[in-house]
Amino acid sequence: MTGRSVGRQALTVVLFLVAVLVIWEGVKLLGGDPWRFQDASGQEIVYQPPFEWEVAGDRALPHVWTIWNALAAPVQRQQTESLGAFLVGAALYTGREAVLGFIAGAVLGVILAALFVHSKLAERAFVPYVVASQTIPILALAPLIAFAFGNGVVGIVIVATYLTFFPVTIAALRGLSASDPRAMELMRACAASKWAIFWKLRFPSSLPYLFSALKIAATASIVGAIVGEGNPGGSQFGLGRSILNFNEQYGSGPEKLWAAILAASLLGIVFFLAVRLVEHVVLRGRPKADVG
Amino acid sequence: MALQAAARPDDLPLTKRLGRTLRYNLPAILLFFGVLIVWELVASILNLRQFILPRPSAIGTALVAEWATLQKAASNTLFEALGGLGIGVVIGVVVAFAVARWAKAREAILPVAIGISAIPIIAVAPIMSNWFGITNPMAKMAVVVLLVFFPIMINVARGLSEVDARAIELMRANAASEGQILRKLRLPNALPYFFTGLKVATTLCLIGAVVAEYFGGSSDVLGRVIVQSSSRLRFDITWSAIVVTAVAGITFYLLVVVVERLVIPWHSSLRLLES
Repeated sequence: MTGRSVGRQALTVVLFLVAVLVIWEGVKLLGGDPWRFQDASGQEIVYQPPFEWEVAGDRALPHVWTIWNALAAPVQRQQTESLGAFLVGAALYTGREAVLGFIAGAVLGVILAALFVHSKLAERAFVPYVVASQTIPILALAPLIAFAFGNGVVGIVIVATYLTFFPVTIAALRGLSASDPRAMELMRACAASKWAIFWKLRFPSSLPYLFSALKIAATASIVGAIVGEGNPGGSQFGLGRSILNFNEQYGSGPEKLWAAILAASLLGIVFFLAVRLVEHVVLRGRPKADVG
Repeated sequence: MALQAAARPDDLPLTKRLGRTLRYNLPAILLFFGVLIVWELVASILNLRQFILPRPSAIGTALVAEWATLQKAASNTLFEALGGLGIGVVIGVVVAFAVARWAKAREAILPVAIGISAIPIIAVAPIMSNWFGITNPMAKMAVVVLLVFFPIMINVARGLSEVDARAIELMRANAASEGQILRKLRLPNALPYFFTGLKVATTLCLIGAVVAEYFGGSSDVLGRVIVQSSSRLRFDITWSAIVVTAVAGITFYLLVVVVERLVIPWHSSLRLLES
């Protein structure tokens, strides 16, 4: 990736954020609740938008600066911790669960793919269920998993793992079978063991496929962690729990829910970018392969 | 996958092809029944309490006994899922056409869109409930639309733009118009990508609907049946609801696979594992 394209992408991100802000506040400018400001002398200035749309009201769509200011305010009355600090803590907690699930899912995925690549029978017997497992809303199993493994981190990590292993398995299976047939023949001709073929040929050549799946898996692991926490009997901490709690307090402070959702979005994007960075480092010098 | 393996000799009569499909899938079918039997035996020998792992026969009984509830819940959830899928696919395809039209915009927008799709969209379910009303199926549908949008948009945009440059040159050299290039080159090229996105989207739409239901709403939906029955420790009902959801999900997925094979039979080899 050249410096220019990074610059252009950064510009797009900034433009996108500005567009979101403009549309957000523009909608409120046209049809929101009255805007109230204090001028320098403490006089209140009120702006009355021309229309009245429910979806643009302060309840449904708080002002951007209301959300921003809420980050500095205490998370609950009579508490010193600010909402911002609280959300950072929650994001770290959820992020830790997601990373654990991500690692477990990635390892499981690669092991399954390695098994399928070496045994056609295993592939024929299990791959349909690997695919079917994702058409089942896995998250439907989340309450059962939480029930079986208690309120601890384990149950949540299992949900995250379950969501992570699928894209990794499928992509690794493709990648492990996509090595150069000439290289494969050469290694076989030199009587290389299956083990050597796997680590010196199959695995390295599967990396581009693996990384394109790991980027999807990064998001999936965070979704898993959030949903796992949100379950009855899930966790007391973390973003998923915060989203549920702030949802219940939506009437008194919609900006808190919005802030929690923004924190979840940021966490997802940061994790994604982290995986992309690792990909960039690991695959540097390779020609860009089209792996979907 | 199995279908593709059986499909290669297209000249074979249908019965032979079915036979091949069956033989190819035999290990998977045997595994299914094997697991069911072992599960049933282990559960009855160890005398497991049903709230840990209900036996398949208990789940079957619950499925029959609760059929009326499950059927109603399933039809409500399917309405949300399919409605969201339809809207999301239409919006995704339209945006993809717009993005693919301008090369500069595409280069800048696609990576960013991929980044944005890293947002755990399920987190906005409570906001949608507040916007549309918590019992309004539109709230769940909106979550599904957001979930479905990105895989469709990203795949279709790539399919429309990642066309063999030599083919474009050839068409230009023969004075083909942009419209002709779109119809004869870009659209056929985008179809496999579209189906890849659609397969992801069909699985996401059910997951999205069920999970969005977790965050509250009317009780006659699969997500609520799952949550409520498991909080009453009636895991036989929970599992029967999961079975209903799974069967619906697998049916959708297979439908897309079948349609894909009818629409783009020329592309089967490449799709071996793209699901």
